[in-house]
Order: sequence, then structure tokens, then C-alpha cells
Amino acid sequence: MSIGVVKHNGEPSTGGGTGARAPGYRWRRVLHLLSRYGTLAGLAIMVVVFSIAAPGSFPTTGNAINILNQSALTALIAGGLTMALVVGEFDLSIGYAASLAGVLVTGLIVRQGLPIWLAILMVLGVGAVIGAVNGALVTKARVNAVIATLGIGTILIGISFGYTSGTPITEGVPAAFPRLSLGELLGLPNPIWIMAGVLALLWVVLNRTDLGQRIQAVGGNPEAARLAGIPVDRVKIIAFVTTGVCAALTGILLASLLGSGTASAADSYLLDAFAAVFLGSATLRNGEFHILGTLIGVIIINTGFNGLSIFGADTFYQYVFKGGILVLAVALSTVARRYSQA
Amino acid sequence: MPSAEPLAPLVRVSGLAKQFAGARALEAIDLELRTGEVHGLVGANGAGKSTLIRCMAGLVTPDSGTIEVDGREVIISAPRDATELGLTFIHQELNLVPHFDSVANMLLGRPKSTRLGLIDWRRTRRPAQVVAERLGIEFPLDRRVDELSVAQRWMVSIGRALVGNARMIAMDEPTASLSDTESRRLFEVVRDLARSRVAVLYVSHRLDEVLELSDSISVLRDGRLTRRLTRGELNKPGLVREIVGSDLAPQEQSTMSPAASGQVRPVLEVRGLRRGVVVDDVSFNLRRGEVLGLGGLVGSGRTEVARLLCGADRLEAGAIRLDDVRVSFSTVADAVGHGIGLVPEERRSQGLVLNRSVAFNINLADQRPLRYLPWLPLLHAGRARARAVELTERLGIKTSNVDQPVSALSGGNQQKVLIARWLTRTRKVLILDEPTRGVDIGARAEIHRIIRDLAHSGTGVIAISSDVEELVALCDRVVVMAEGRVTGELEGAHLTEEAVIALSYAHRRTDRSVAT
Repeated sequence: MSIGVVKHNGEPSTGGGTGARAPGYRWRRVLHLLSRYGTLAGLAIMVVVFSIAAPGSFPTTGNAINILNQSALTALIAGGLTMALVVGEFDLSIGYAASLAGVLVTGLIVRQGLPIWLAILMVLGVGAVIGAVNGALVTKARVNAVIATLGIGTILIGISFGYTSGTPITEGVPAAFPRLSLGELLGLPNPIWIMAGVLALLWVVLNRTDLGQRIQAVGGNPEAARLAGIPVDRVKIIAFVTTGVCAALTGILLASLLGSGTASAADSYLLDAFAAVFLGSATLRNGEFHILGTLIGVIIINTGFNGLSIFGADTFYQYVFKGGILVLAVALSTVARRYSQA
Repeated sequence: MPSAEPLAPLVRVSGLAKQFAGARALEAIDLELRTGEVHGLVGANGAGKSTLIRCMAGLVTPDSGTIEVDGREVIISAPRDATELGLTFIHQELNLVPHFDSVANMLLGRPKSTRLGLIDWRRTRRPAQVVAERLGIEFPLDRRVDELSVAQRWMVSIGRALVGNARMIAMDEPTASLSDTESRRLFEVVRDLARSRVAVLYVSHRLDEVLELSDSISVLRDGRLTRRLTRGELNKPGLVREIVGSDLAPQEQSTMSPAASGQVRPVLEVRGLRRGVVVDDVSFNLRRGEVLGLGGLVGSGRTEVARLLCGADRLEAGAIRLDDVRVSFSTVADAVGHGIGLVPEERRSQGLVLNRSVAFNINLADQRPLRYLPWLPLLHAGRARARAVELTERLGIKTSNVDQPVSALSGGNQQKVLIARWLTRTRKVLILDEPTRGVDIGARAEIHRIIRDLAHSGTGVIAISSDVEELVALCDRVVVMAEGRVTGELEGAHLTEEAVIALSYAHRRTDRSVAT
């Protein structure tokens, strides 16, 4: 006898609606509003406070572009992560996959002498393979996604160190490679354009294609999706592949920005991405993961970092801020789901 | 049977009544159980058997009535109270801890013997070993319970009751997933228990075994205890009569002659379907444009047949022919591709994506026509919405707009959304499992109309229902199953509620070989 576990998403309707106002109604309503718009309000408050405190340096066009540019890489990796979370899974390997991608792309260019475009394509392919392996482990071998991706991520760390022998690849990087992320188009740095393009693409896929509808259905109720004739395993694997490709792209751009390939360079993007995606799920949409929310989450985090560095805060505060926002984001997301029917 | 009757029965239930949301579940139930007695409890689906058991087990609080143990009135407000009184209940799900071994499961929640502050396992295990010997358990006691067969798990559950010095054990459908040999073994254990002065309350749909085992039998119908029969006045036709509540002429099975159905080529032919013991050699035909009912008791294998037909489970043997072509499905997607759809039994957990909109849920199964261009996987939002609007109007789905979350709809409207999902294009076969469960009367009539319209338009419809009235009212023809087998097929004048119930209890166990 197998013991089936049915995951319930979405709360049952609370019925009464606005007719009978229970004592807790007002409180629930406040929580509901807070959980939908609280993150946006937080962003607004941050902007106002920083603008008042540092009128000369914070509220300038240059700084706004700076914040967006700093957000771009996080937004790319977090956008990919959104896909894995929408399909109802988890991916902890993204930071390590991005680090490996950075190492590989510089290595392929410097050591193998491959043209930059070819190296990038190949490394994006590696990202897809990493995603496919994660997806296959989760769907076919039925390994819990947290464990599977943590294990794969750890293996990727090993590969990165093995490939670089522990020393960054810095010598002989052609000048064209850093230009990729340092260049500008119409007054905006390239990473902002890439972020906009990729997020727009992800948004369209998720909201305007059959695949996206299937991804959302699988995440919402896998059993219902299966009985509606959706190939659940395949859909999950595709979502993981998307996550992997986005992670690889982030790693490539980071390597271009740094002008070198360093093992573990992108590891810290993991936590930033999770914080952003969960903040985003608590934004506008009742605790559901969505691309626009993820973008807003990324901007909130980077606005915070930007403000902290303008005030010259210690590294110490940056970690406190980062950890605090991660916990706060998940809590808000949970509250948003719970009070979605208020 | 006990020779010297004690003055007071072991358990006496008097005047027990329970209503759920105004509907009567139990009314004025009087029940007596004597020490060492095997007491059968029978009744159709929804007659109140499980409510009665749950009241006695402390899982449901009765509205009125008393329970006495040894002549003293007791209040059972939680399962623990029942256990302390020596009343144990073994439900079909068994409630064992899968990764504990048999001994640990039998001793669950009991204090452990200790020596120097550490658990003395040898001494702790002893009671379990004694009980295992008494039950004649032959499998190793240190094996994890999830590695045991269902029959072995039943033995562990009974052992657990005995370790707790049970004086009464209630068993709910104990043989539902057991083989013949395993059932025989269980009957012996039940008789042994009775001989050692434990009372057994035996709940089962399988009338033959209830008749064979019980010293007395209580029959529940519509929440009332209609009759208490004692050994001697027991026979199967009489029992069926009590369960059904009317004097049905025991008409012979009106199985259709194959020639009559040969005029219209069936859209679906099912031959010799088999999966485990739950689906055992099932064959039937479904004609184009008919509503075929699949009747039988809960657990008779109806739902499992539906799951085989829609590719949710794999066949072990048998053949499915769709429009005269042999097909085999390894996934639901395969079956959907062939034009078969399933509206599942549990609409919230198996059917709907609750946090999504009505339109999302309707359009889920068939996105391709919503693309801008056939080769471009980009969806036309307007077209998707228009299709959802058209279907909600056609099926009379009451929703303020199709972008509303489907969780806000009533049960009947949610059910219609699930049906609408399969109407986005013409299907060959639509299977509906309990299409009107938990749906109000008005919506129920509308769903019946939708199902019949669908059949008129040429789709073959299979409707599974525990509601006999619904089967008779809705279906052109009904195939009845019992214990995984087809026991008969009813059509036309032969299709009556009584006939469906009688076939639901038809017993075919005896002609199965005992080769295991």
C-alpha cells in the first residue's frame, strides 16, 4: 500500500465574504493588504529615507542606473530560480552552477582559444545539462529537490576547483570579453538590456505559452495536472533546465565583469536569488512566485545594499541586512498565502 | 459462543443519534455486543456504519444516546478513552508506523520496561512475542511494517489490540485487499479471538463472510438499525432484503446478449482488465452516444478501472480497444491524446488547480487551439478567455467572471468546470468518477443534463457512482462490479435500484482458485 500525499495549494474559500464581519476581519484585511503591497511600501519608504538622508548621492539618475545595473545579474539568476519554484520544486545548485559557468567560459576562451560567442554557447549548454540532471534526479529518481540540487551543487564546487586548480583564470582574457558587461547601449549598461530581455522572455513563456500554463498547473496541483494529461515530469525537467541556463548566463556575465574566472565567485548569488524570489512572491500576487515580483524583489535588495554602501556601513551590516531580508521575505510570502482570501 | 451469559453485555449502545449539517446519519441505534461474540455489521454505502463505529471510537461525538461497558455508562470523548475501556478499532487504513517493525508497532504508546534508566528491549518485547505466538504469526517480527503484506499488517494491528488487552475489536472491511487464503487465515484468527472471550465487531460488505463468521448481525439502513439477526435466521437473500429495504424478486442477471450490442460498434471495448486483486478480469463495451454506469460498493474496483482506462495506472493484463484499434497508455497524456478524459473522484485534490482562475482550469487540457499560429507556442489570451466564457455559459457555470479563482466557486460549479475542461474539443470517451458527490440537487440535475447532452453528441460516457438512484436515473446501461469483478449488466426494464444493489453484493469469491 502506498501512502499518497496530496499537496493542497490555495486555501479553501472562507465563505462568508464581506457579509458577516467577524471581529478579526479588520486585522485580516490589514494583513492581506500588507502581504500584497507591503514590499512595495517598504521599497518606497527606503527610497524616501535614503533620498532625505543623502540628497546629493542617492536620488540621482546615475545612481538609479547603478542600482539597476547591480540588480541585473541577481535578476537573471533569480528569474531562472522563479521557474523552478513555480513548478513546485527547489534549486540550491544555482550559485555553484553560476560559479562553474564563469570558470568554464574564461577557461574555454583563454586555454582553448575558442571564440567568445562559441564559449558562451557551450557554457549555456552546460547550464542546461546541469538543469536536466537536477530535473531527472527529482522526477525520475524521486530525490527530494533540496537534497538533489544541494548534492549536485556541491559536486559543481568540486568541478570548479578542479578545473582552476584553485587559482583564478586571469591571464590572457581578451578585452572583448569584459566589454560584454561593461559596454553600454543607448546610455544604459548592457547587463540591464540583457536582464530586461531575459525577464521579458521568461514572463512571456510563463504567462503566454502552453508550456508556461503547464508549468503553473504542475506547481499548483501536480496530481490534477497529471490527470489533465500534462506530462508532469517533462514539464519539471524543462523548468530546471531554464533555471540552469539562467544560472550559467549569470556566471558568464559575472566573469566578464570581473575579467576573470574564479571558483566560488558567484556562490553568494544563491541567497540573494532566494530572498528576491520570496520577496517577489509576497508582492502583488498572494504568495505566488512570479517574474515581475522577482524583479521587484531584486530591486528592493539592491536598493538596500546601495543605501548601506552610500552611508559607508560595515560589511557586518550587509550580512545582517541580507539574512534579515531572506527571513522576512519567506515570512511575508507565507503570510500572503495564508491571508490571500481575506 | 459463550455458554454462560453474563448479566450485562460487554458493550451496550442505546438510542444513539447523530446528525451532520441537519442530515440524519444515525437515529436511535441500539446495539449489544457480548463477550466472545462475533457481531456482523452490514449496510449499503452511506447507511451509517462508519459513523456508528466512529461514535464508539470517540472520533465523533453523538448528539444523544448512551454507551455502556459492563453495564456502566461511559463517556468516550477521545480515542484514548475507548482504548482504556478495552475497545479497539482497526480501520482500513490500519494506522501503523510504516518504518517501525511489528513489535514496535504493537507496543506503540505503551510504557517500556527499563533497567538502569535504559530501555530493556528483551523485557519490553515479551508481550508482543506472546501475542504473536497466540495469533500464530509466522513472519519475522523485526521486519519493517511497510515491507509486510496487507494481511500481515492486519495481524500486526490485531496484535497491537491484544497487547493493549482489548476486550472488543472492531474491524472495518478487513478482507478488502486480502487474497482468499489470507482471508481464511484471518477468519481463523477471528474465531480464536471469540473463543478467548474477545468480542469482534465485524464490518464488511462481503455478506458471505459475515454470514459465515457472525453469531449475530445488525443491519443498518439510512441511519437506522433495521434488524438484528441471530444465527439460524441468517441467509443471504434475507440479508440483502434487509439492506435494500424492499422485497426484490431475485431476478436473474440480465446480461445483454452480445448480439444486441453488436449492432452499434462500440467506441471502447475492454477485455480481461486486471490489476492486482482490485481489478480482476473486467470486460465490457461502451457504445458511442451512451451513458454507461459503473456501479458497485466503494472498493469494488470501479475507480481503479477508470484509472486504468485513462492511463493513470498500468494494466497487468487485458486489452483496451478504442474504435476497434488496440491501444495501450503508459501515461495519462497518452490517453488524453487518444481522446479519453477523466473527471476524477476528488475534485479539489485531483482535479482543480485551486489558486488559479476558472479560465485557467477550463483551458488546461487543450491549449493548442489557443495559439496565435499552430507552430508558434504563443497563446492568444483573448481566444483563451472567449473559449472559457463560451463554456461557462453553455454549462451554466455561475461565476462573476472567468478570471475569478476557481476556489471561490461552489462544489457544483467546480464540478462543471472540470467537465468543461474536456469539452474544449470532441472526445471519444469521457469518464466521470462520482460526478455529483457533494453537489446540491439543482446542480446535480444540471450536471446530469450536461452528461446526457454530451452522450447525444456522440461521446461515449462512463459514469461511476455510489449513488444507486443516480445510476438508474442517469444511465442507459449499468455494469455492476463487486470485489474487482463484473457481476452483471443491467439495461432497460431490468435497470432498477434493487437490481444494482443485489449485484453489488453478488459474491464470486468461491470460484476463484486457491492456488496462492
